[in-house]
Parts: sequence; structure tokens; C-alpha cells
Amino acid sequence: MSEPTGVIHDIGYRHYDGVRLGRRHATVALAVHSLRGIFGLGRTIRAKIIPFLIVGVMMLPAVVSIAVMALLRQKVMAYTSYGSIMQAVLAVFLAAQSPYIVAPDLRFRVLPLYLSRPVTLWDYVGAKLAAMITAMFLLLAVPLTVLYIGELVVDLPDPVKTGNYLAAMAGAAVSALLLSCIGVAIASFTPRRGLGVASVIAFYLLTSAVSTLVSATMESVNNYTASGWALMINPFFLVDAAVHVGLFGADASSPVVYPSGGGAVALQLLLVVVLIALSVIALVTRYRKAAAR
Amino acid sequence: MTILATEGLTRRFPRVTALDQLTVNVGPGVTGLVGANGAGKSTLIKILLGLLDPSAGKAQVLGMDTTTQGPEIRRVVGYMPEHDCLPPDMSATEFTVHMGQMSGLPRTSARERAADVLRHVGLYEERYRVMGGYSTGMKQRVKLAQALVHDPRLVFLDEPTNGLDPQGRDEMLALIRRIGTEFGISVLVTSHLLGELERVCDHVIVIDGGKLLRSSSIADFTQTTQTVTVEVEEGRQALAARLTELGETVVEHGRSLLVQVRAPETFDTLRDAVCDLDLCLVRMEQGRQRIEDVFKEPVSRESADV
Repeated sequence: MSEPTGVIHDIGYRHYDGVRLGRRHATVALAVHSLRGIFGLGRTIRAKIIPFLIVGVMMLPAVVSIAVMALLRQKVMAYTSYGSIMQAVLAVFLAAQSPYIVAPDLRFRVLPLYLSRPVTLWDYVGAKLAAMITAMFLLLAVPLTVLYIGELVVDLPDPVKTGNYLAAMAGAAVSALLLSCIGVAIASFTPRRGLGVASVIAFYLLTSAVSTLVSATMESVNNYTASGWALMINPFFLVDAAVHVGLFGADASSPVVYPSGGGAVALQLLLVVVLIALSVIALVTRYRKAAAR
Repeated sequence: MTILATEGLTRRFPRVTALDQLTVNVGPGVTGLVGANGAGKSTLIKILLGLLDPSAGKAQVLGMDTTTQGPEIRRVVGYMPEHDCLPPDMSATEFTVHMGQMSGLPRTSARERAADVLRHVGLYEERYRVMGGYSTGMKQRVKLAQALVHDPRLVFLDEPTNGLDPQGRDEMLALIRRIGTEFGISVLVTSHLLGELERVCDHVIVIDGGKLLRSSSIADFTQTTQTVTVEVEEGRQALAARLTELGETVVEHGRSLLVQVRAPETFDTLRDAVCDLDLCLVRMEQGRQRIEDVFKEPVSRESADV
């Protein structure tokens, strides 16, 4: 008699005796998981709409610029002004996605599960921050790179602006670092996602409105130094002034002249570092409290 | 072999002392940790996971010190919390795979283990759906699966039967028993119901107000907790009177009677008494006593002696 086919055997419980990787593997896995989640990968269709819409909008100026370069043989914009022109879109992305990576874990109390594993609280916070920073960087760096490749391919009579491209990439890295730290820190204070989105967008609107308003007022009374400094309240212009203009000597992408000179640039860079440090301290304090619950 | 041991373990919070000079030794198998809410069960688990430092004393899990070797302990220990901890927009499979990776499993191994473990806890087709729509029973199963996904040597289950209906409770308890015997994973399970732990544990530890009340093997417990709950439609007083007359110990408990089981004959006496009085028997159930009931009596007796 032949063996019966299609029988389900209860093989019982099997122990796992394969490799067990360490903390670093877990931290990287968490960062990758979060990064995928930010772009809605591995999530529902609804979660993909906003990130992909924003990525599309971010690509638009690059595509249009390439088309203009090809057809009219003319440069449209400097790489370094890309971030400042698209700042509202970047801010919306930050506001929409940074609460996603921190709020659900707090709200649905998944955090204790992570902490009952080898990863420490700081691995967790680091992985989440790394994911957001990478996402923000990609969001700006990909269109910049596409534009750069476009410029190479179109082959304009002017020399290719590689220096300006590299300055813009450095700026993208710094702004990703600064904005992600601020965004995630603000978002981590509420376990409710909607509230997190509102807080981050409010932060951006407030800083951009206040900086424009104060800057314009100062300009009207002919105080140009104060006007330039007022613009630094907006994190996008701060990075533009500190990195693009200050470190790489590119042209400013704001209508107002930035405070310049070695001292001013050093102060702007210090401001960037202080803002990042403050955000990280806020995050650490927040999570120390959350972990104690 | 000792799975976990504590010595003079004390944990003080600004306003309460959660654990007070707790010294216990736990061997392999299924161990129940019983105590009322706020007795210090969850604090003990946090200390054992190395997430909370004790104020005094020390604890060892699988031979590792909790204050210095926390990460090493958490690598080989599983934890199922009491509260909800599942993100509603993920499927059980994805979530369990992710948690397996968090425990240090490579992605492919995590996938295999997740499929295995979800099958063992009894989740089949529904594991591909998002967890937001799960029933409490299914959620408890996923919580258990994530604690087992990395094949730990010891699992801490904090109130695994919380919120389950009687059938769900029975299934969960059977599963816990299987984990301890068939899977060969030691279990520390907490509950505030001694009755249900009796059925699955080899050893029971009772704590109250952070102090050790009792630690003994299950055999010692069964005698003290053998009661049967009887509910009749009418004539509760008459039945109580008759049983007392026949030498049984009866306590009225709301709409039902708690009868202490002296010997198997008690059941016969009970049956005969109900028949003789021609009463309508609604329910007869082996007692699921609350821990407070069991330990109130000896304590009050002791204090009366003083």
C-alpha cells in the first residue's frame, strides 16, 4: 500500500537553534521598518497616498527644470534654492510623517515590547530618528540628484554646476538632521497622531510667519542686519545661510540678505547645533518618562 | 536547577513600597505568581527583565544578574504584558516577524518562527488581517506569540487570561500548560485568580503588598482551595441549614453557596441534600476562588490567636 498523500502531520514544537544577532541588528531592523513605514511601504494603500503625493510634488520642479533646460537651453534654478523653494512641501511631509513613527508606539503601548528585548531605549530613539532623517534627506536629495543627472545629460553650453550640487546635498543633509530632530521631538510629546501633525505644522507656520514678519518690519526701518537675523528664525533659511551661503559660498535663496562674515556664519552653525541638541534632550526626557510608565 | 531567584528584593517608589524583602526560588516548569492588583507582580517582572533597578536586594534570572546583565536576559526571555500592546494597522504575521527581528532573529528565521508560533497559539487565516479588528482572544494569542517568537528559555506572562470569556480562559490555560511541558519553556504566569492557576501550575507563589505570603508546590494548595459553588433556584437557606446539619462547612456567597470539600463524599451529601429538599439545581461548579478569600481566613485566624 502506498503512503497516503496530503496528510497534515503535527510536528509539534520546534526549538530555534539558529543564529541570534545582537542589538545592532535589531536597531537596524527597527530603523528600516520605520523608514519603510514613513513611505507607507508594507502599510495600507491609504498610508501610501500622502508620502507618495509629496514625493511626486517634490519631483515636479526637477522634471520641469530638465524639460526647460532641454527645450529652452536655459538654467532655471540653483540647486541650493531647491530646499527653500519647496520648504512648505518638506514641512508638510515632516508634519505628516514624524508623528507616524513615534505616536502609535506610545499610544498603543508597543514601547514596552521593544524594551523587553535587547534593544535599549536609546537604540530605539536612535533608530526612529535615523529613519526620519533618512526619509527627509531622500525626499530632497533624490530630486536634486535627478536634476543634476538631467543637467549632465542635457549638456548646456554653461559648465555643469557640480559645486552647487554638492553644496545643496550638504544642505539637504543638515536640514534633514535639523528638521527631523525638531519634528520627532515635537511629535513625541503627544500619543495622538492628529495632534502631532497639527503641532509640527503649527511650529513651521509660526516660525516662517514670525521670521517673515519681523524681517519685513526690520527692513522697513532700514535695519538690514536685524532683518537678516530675523530670517534665521525659519529653519530652512537658517540652513541655507549657514551651509549653502556660509560654508559653500553659494547665492542666498531668500529675498533678504543674510548676515554674513565669519562670525555670523559660526553663530548660525552654532544655532543649528543648539537646536539639534535641544530637540534631542527633549526627546530623551520624553522617553525617559515614557519608559518609566 | 533554578530558573530565577530573588534575595531580599525590595523596590520603593516615592509613595509606595511595591516589593518588600521578597525572597523566592523558582525551578523549571510553570510557576504561578498570584496577588491582588497592586501586589507588586508587574514590578517584580520589570525587575526580572532588568528594566527597573531594585532599591535593595538582588535578583537572578537563568543565572544572570538583573542589574548588570539585563540585555543578555532579555535576549533569552519572552514577555507578554498585561495591557494592550498591538498596533492596529499591522497584521499579526508582520508584527510577529518584526518582533522576532527585534529579538535578534535574521529576517528569514523570524518569518519561519512567526508562522510556527502563530500556528501553535491557534491563529490561522486571520493572521494576515490587520489586528485592529481582532477580538480580545485573538489579541491575547498574538501577544503570546510575540513573546515566544524567539524561542525563549523562560516567558513572563502578565495576566494572560485577562478579559477572556470562560472558554477563552480554558484555551489560554491549556496553551500555557503546553508551553511549560511540550515546548519545554519555563513559564512565570501572573493572575489574581488562584483557582485558574491551580490547574496549570507546578508551583505557586503568593504575594501581597510586595511581601511573600506563600511559596509552595501546587499539591499543598489544592486542599485549602477545594470548594464547590452551588446555586439553587429557591430554598438556599434550607439547603445551607441541611448541609450544616450534615456536618459540612457552608458559606453564603451572594446568590450561591460555597461548600468546602472535605472528602469526595461531600459531593454525594450535596446531591442527596438537593434531592431530598426537592430543589431546582441551577449550577454546581468547582470553586474558582479569589485569592483574597483563600488567604483571608488563615490570616484572620492567626491575628485572632495573637
